[in-house]
Amino acid sequence: MLLYSISLIGLLLLSCIVQQFLPSVSSWYDARFLILPLIVLCGSVTVSTGIMLILAYLGGFLWDAQQILSVTQGDPFVYQNSPDSLKFGYSVVLYTLMGFLMQGIRPIFREGKWYLSAILAGVAIFLYLFVEYLLRGFVGGGFHKNDGMIQQIWASSVLTMLLSPLIFWILFRVADLCGHTIRYKK
Amino acid sequence: MKPLNFLALILFVAGLVWVFTLSEKSVRHIQRSYYSAISPLISKGSETEAFANKFLEEVEHSADLEKQIEQVIEERDRFKLIAGRVRELEAENNQLRNALDFKKKTQFDVVAARVIRKQPQMWGKTIEIDRGTDDGFEADPEFDLCVLASNGGLVGRLQLSGEQISSVLLITDEISQVSAEVEGTSEVGIIVGRQTTFGQTPRLRLRYLSKTAILQKGMKVYTDGRGNLFPPNIPIGTIEDFEVGPVYGEAEIKPAVDFTNLKNVFVITESPGD
Repeated sequence: MLLYSISLIGLLLLSCIVQQFLPSVSSWYDARFLILPLIVLCGSVTVSTGIMLILAYLGGFLWDAQQILSVTQGDPFVYQNSPDSLKFGYSVVLYTLMGFLMQGIRPIFREGKWYLSAILAGVAIFLYLFVEYLLRGFVGGGFHKNDGMIQQIWASSVLTMLLSPLIFWILFRVADLCGHTIRYKK
Repeated sequence: MKPLNFLALILFVAGLVWVFTLSEKSVRHIQRSYYSAISPLISKGSETEAFANKFLEEVEHSADLEKQIEQVIEERDRFKLIAGRVRELEAENNQLRNALDFKKKTQFDVVAARVIRKQPQMWGKTIEIDRGTDDGFEADPEFDLCVLASNGGLVGRLQLSGEQISSVLLITDEISQVSAEVEGTSEVGIIVGRQTTFGQTPRLRLRYLSKTAILQKGMKVYTDGRGNLFPPNIPIGTIEDFEVGPVYGEAEIKPAVDFTNLKNVFVITESPGD
């Protein structure tokens, strides 16, 4: 279990590197493969709640280190209303919620029905991006319905979901190598 | 609850408290360290992205290409293609000449950079350029270096720098703020970005104008140098529309820079106060 958990964290770090090589699909709503959140989601269903929390924390932290924009604030006399943006660490909370969602179908996953988890991973990615979109609008003080953004969100969710069988295959291989059982033997 | 799960929960809560109480300076330090660590990979990643996009474009237009192959047999179309190529070279030549002229004419000390990736993130409006700390872009927590386009228009400011790569926050992002003035008037305000998606033309808003401002379409907007973030008199855009709100007036601005075709930029290597 310990070896598998460490391998999972290694995979998470590796996904930060791989993410840099995954292009956006400019011809399809600029959709993106979001491999780092996918590793967290797929990994969550294969481990206990404690390890899931650690995985979600590390994933959210790395994601925010990469995604959150922070700039130097100018003279407060001129820039009286500093721009409101999401606080560093919010992804930890969202990743944890997604992790709990995935853990909810862990018993089904352990029966070997990994494909349901793969579909749920896509749904969870969509929910995550949609909540993030709503939060950005809410914190920014002005929510505007943006069809282009919704299309980008669902297209990214579908693309990412298509990668989930591959991630599960990798996780099963890693589990075998580590001697960890992530589903009931038949 | 199992003891290990309980321990993980305690660690998680402690970590969450720590991360939410990080100061702005600490967050930037973490991000700089992360960016420095992955910056060599970003250069390689941008090449992959360029290759993939080119491939997808070719696949998308494969039917058109087949038709074109048939047409190319005909002499007339061959001349058309040649003429098209000449125009392309002419445009490229003009672009490079503008860039060279800008570097000669500008009053600032600038370093030219090539845009290697556009909007690498899901939400934030940023670009990545092929210059970094090796080119003298020192990380300074007090100010961010200013970035201009070859037409002299304001692009944004440097957010993070690796050794040979930097991330630029565009003025079209929602968290960007630029103190600005309207040419020929005493009106000053703050330029902020607007939420747009792929394919949409970026637009800016000039906020906190007086309600009695007399502004017309086409009036130019420049940086005013207040607030120690940007040097004065850098073109930002032109006024498209003006609305009077309950407290302030607000104008829609068309940027001076064509962000969709941004290929080369210039980084001002001096602080606004110098």
